[in-house]
Amino acid sequence: MSKPNHPHSIKTILTFAIAFVSISFTLLISAILYSQFSSTIRENATVSTREIVRQVNANLNYYTNDILTIAGYARDLSKQTNELSRTEIERRLSSIVDSRQDIVCLLLFDLEGNVLLSTTDAPRRDATEIAKQTWFTRALGGEGNFYFTGPHVQQLFTSSYPWVITYSQQISYTNEEGELSQGLLLIDMNFRTVSELSQSAKLGATGYVYFIDNNGKIVYHPYQQLINSNLFNEDLDSAQEYIFGTFTNTFEGRQRLVIIDTVNNARWRIVGVAFMDELMAGLDQYTTVMLIVLGFCIVITIILARTVSAYISRPIRELDRLMNSVERGDFSAPPTVGGNQEVAALSQTFAVMVKRIRQLMDDIVTSQEMKRKFELDALQAKINPHFLYNTLDSVVWMAEQNDTEGVITMITALAKLFRISISKGRDIITLAEELEHVRNYLIIQQIRYQDKFEFSITMEEGMENLPTIKLIIQPIVENAIYHGIKYLQEMGHIDIKVFKRKPGAVVIEVRDNGVGMDEQKLATILSFDGYHPKGVGIGVRNVHQRIQLYYGSDYGLELSSELDVGTLVRLVIPEQSPIQPIKVVQS
Amino acid sequence: MLIILSLLVGCSNKKSEANTSYRIAVITMMQGGEFWGALKNGARSARSSTGAVLEFLAPVNESDYEGQISAVQRAIDQQFDAIVLSPSHYTRLEDVVAKARSSGIKVVLADTALRNQSGDFLITADYRQIGKAMAEHAFTHFPEGEPINALVIGSMPNTTSMTNLVESLVQAFSERANARIISATYSFTDEAIARDITRNALLSDPSINLVFALEEYTAHGVANALTDSSNIHFIAFGTTQFEIQLLEKGVIDALVVVNSFNLGYRSVMAAIDLLNGNKPARKLVDFDLVTKESMFSEEHQRLLFQTFQ
Repeated sequence: MSKPNHPHSIKTILTFAIAFVSISFTLLISAILYSQFSSTIRENATVSTREIVRQVNANLNYYTNDILTIAGYARDLSKQTNELSRTEIERRLSSIVDSRQDIVCLLLFDLEGNVLLSTTDAPRRDATEIAKQTWFTRALGGEGNFYFTGPHVQQLFTSSYPWVITYSQQISYTNEEGELSQGLLLIDMNFRTVSELSQSAKLGATGYVYFIDNNGKIVYHPYQQLINSNLFNEDLDSAQEYIFGTFTNTFEGRQRLVIIDTVNNARWRIVGVAFMDELMAGLDQYTTVMLIVLGFCIVITIILARTVSAYISRPIRELDRLMNSVERGDFSAPPTVGGNQEVAALSQTFAVMVKRIRQLMDDIVTSQEMKRKFELDALQAKINPHFLYNTLDSVVWMAEQNDTEGVITMITALAKLFRISISKGRDIITLAEELEHVRNYLIIQQIRYQDKFEFSITMEEGMENLPTIKLIIQPIVENAIYHGIKYLQEMGHIDIKVFKRKPGAVVIEVRDNGVGMDEQKLATILSFDGYHPKGVGIGVRNVHQRIQLYYGSDYGLELSSELDVGTLVRLVIPEQSPIQPIKVVQS
Repeated sequence: MLIILSLLVGCSNKKSEANTSYRIAVITMMQGGEFWGALKNGARSARSSTGAVLEFLAPVNESDYEGQISAVQRAIDQQFDAIVLSPSHYTRLEDVVAKARSSGIKVVLADTALRNQSGDFLITADYRQIGKAMAEHAFTHFPEGEPINALVIGSMPNTTSMTNLVESLVQAFSERANARIISATYSFTDEAIARDITRNALLSDPSINLVFALEEYTAHGVANALTDSSNIHFIAFGTTQFEIQLLEKGVIDALVVVNSFNLGYRSVMAAIDLLNGNKPARKLVDFDLVTKESMFSEEHQRLLFQTFQ
């Protein structure tokens, strides 16, 4: 997501943390559920398969018991040969055989293979041929000894070859002489019942039950014909190996659950084969559902994680945004953020901090303003002694000449001058007052310089009460007299005009016809570091600085001068709302 | 959400129950007969394990290859997915088989092939090997050097199984001293023709001491002509009850049994494999030579007495 070493956002971390924990838990729970479910299914499948096999076995037991019962009946009848005729016995046995679809025939042989009793009249094979057949030889060896064969082709009758399972038992019968003799009872059964039993067992979709004898040979298999034709293989080896019980193995690529049970009476074993993939088919479905649910849960979790982390991190981001805006210098936004407790507390602390910073900044502004005021005061203070010295020097001079009137005029003007200068300690006065101030100043200077110059003061109508910082024209005029007019042979002129200039500026123009300045000198006047011979321009620069300090760098002085033509100074200040003049000056 | 889930589960259920109920026409040379019966049983067995739909089409007589052609044509018209066919004529059925294949039907040839093509797949026994085995067995009945004069009667002259058998018999006889085939003819699967051929041959050439009947009906006909002449050795194809009795009686010396159940089963399976895009296993159909002595052995009785239950 982000470059290495780049700090991750709290939202990302939270999203990952929540998602990781939730998904881990989901997966863990899923795994547990899956394993439990799968083992339950496996267990159930095993139990039900075993149950089915047991059921088949029970039915097979009924069946073999049935055969044994019939055999018992035949045994009893064969002992009654002296009471019942052979025909009668055969009739009774035939009625039993005929009533059953599974029994092919029932015969009694002597131990040489000669037929004593038979339920069928079909032409028989020779006794010698019969006596060497397996079912015959296996049942011999003692009375009561009985034997169930596997499927084989019946070889009792000529021109008839049915597949049968044979029950044979050595019994005693009453012979023609009325003595008990040993004989061999045979009951041939077709596969009907065994096949039905085998087919009644449904083990999954294609599972099956088959029977083997104690030698591990197939007695009956539902796929018998396929096996005969080598089209189907049965895993007889492991059935023989395990003998009894339940096991799973893999045969021809399929995992099989095999259940082996022994059959009573017959020396057979019943083998149930179920295929794991079929038994676990439910699991596949479950797995599908589970995977879908799991996927769904993960998606939900991720969405939830994102939502929750967004919810938690939003106030922090908000706070961050506020901090950024404060960083950019915007202290106005109220820095309070809702949301969780911690962030709210943090935000409150931040708010206090911002408030305190704002206070401190206000303090700094105030102190800066005060400092500026002190500077202004200092600059103003510089003018006064300078001028006072010159004026008083002139007054002294006039007094020496006994020019009383001149002294009066001078002192009056000086008084007015100082009144405006003092102006109740205000820095801002009206333009009229400022012009009055300079007029008095010019009057004083005119007397001092004995009509060496003339002056005029004009102002546009309605500008009288516009405010200006005080004592800004006098230094310019003073400069015009001392450095321009003073050196003239002819009459000097100082013209002061006040007018408005768009947009929103007031211009006070002071024009003289003095000696003027060259460009170099002109350039150094307003700069702070320039060299000023004989203090030329100190007052002018003071004025410029004051205006700029007070009104900003858009305002100040505009100078133009030409040698032997004169100098033009424009004081530019902003036009502001009119103010009330000071009463004392009005009078 | 539950609805989506149940839909998904429903879909997955349906998918798992995808069935392949292909329609397959099984066209044998004729309707009756033990051999074809076992073949059909094998096919049925394959049907029950795969869920395919089978239809058995065949003319009444093996010699009716026209009937077989029209049976194939019917299978084409009815748009079967596959045809299992035992051609009763190795050239006459070429066209209709090609037509079936060109219309997208998979053709599995069972037992007999065609001259110039073998369909999409061929399942058969090794008839040359069988012929050789038959001859070798026959020779065991004669001391070395004793003249052997054999009569060979096949069923259909224009089938690969018969020509292969006859050719391999001829080959085997040519390699044995004093052994010759007097005549090799065909009965067209007609018991009466086979009987007459045998009778006439025996009359015209009393030196005949060995008869090969290459098909069950033919064998019946031969047997009818032979009953009293016990000094003639007789080797026959088939597993009919009559033949088995003759084997027990000693009229027939040996029965050749081709596992046609296997043939039928595997042909249908091969057709389904082809339809599913899989390659069927290439394996010969097994056969055996059963004598009176071995007929009840466990191995042979399962092959000989194919009608189970």
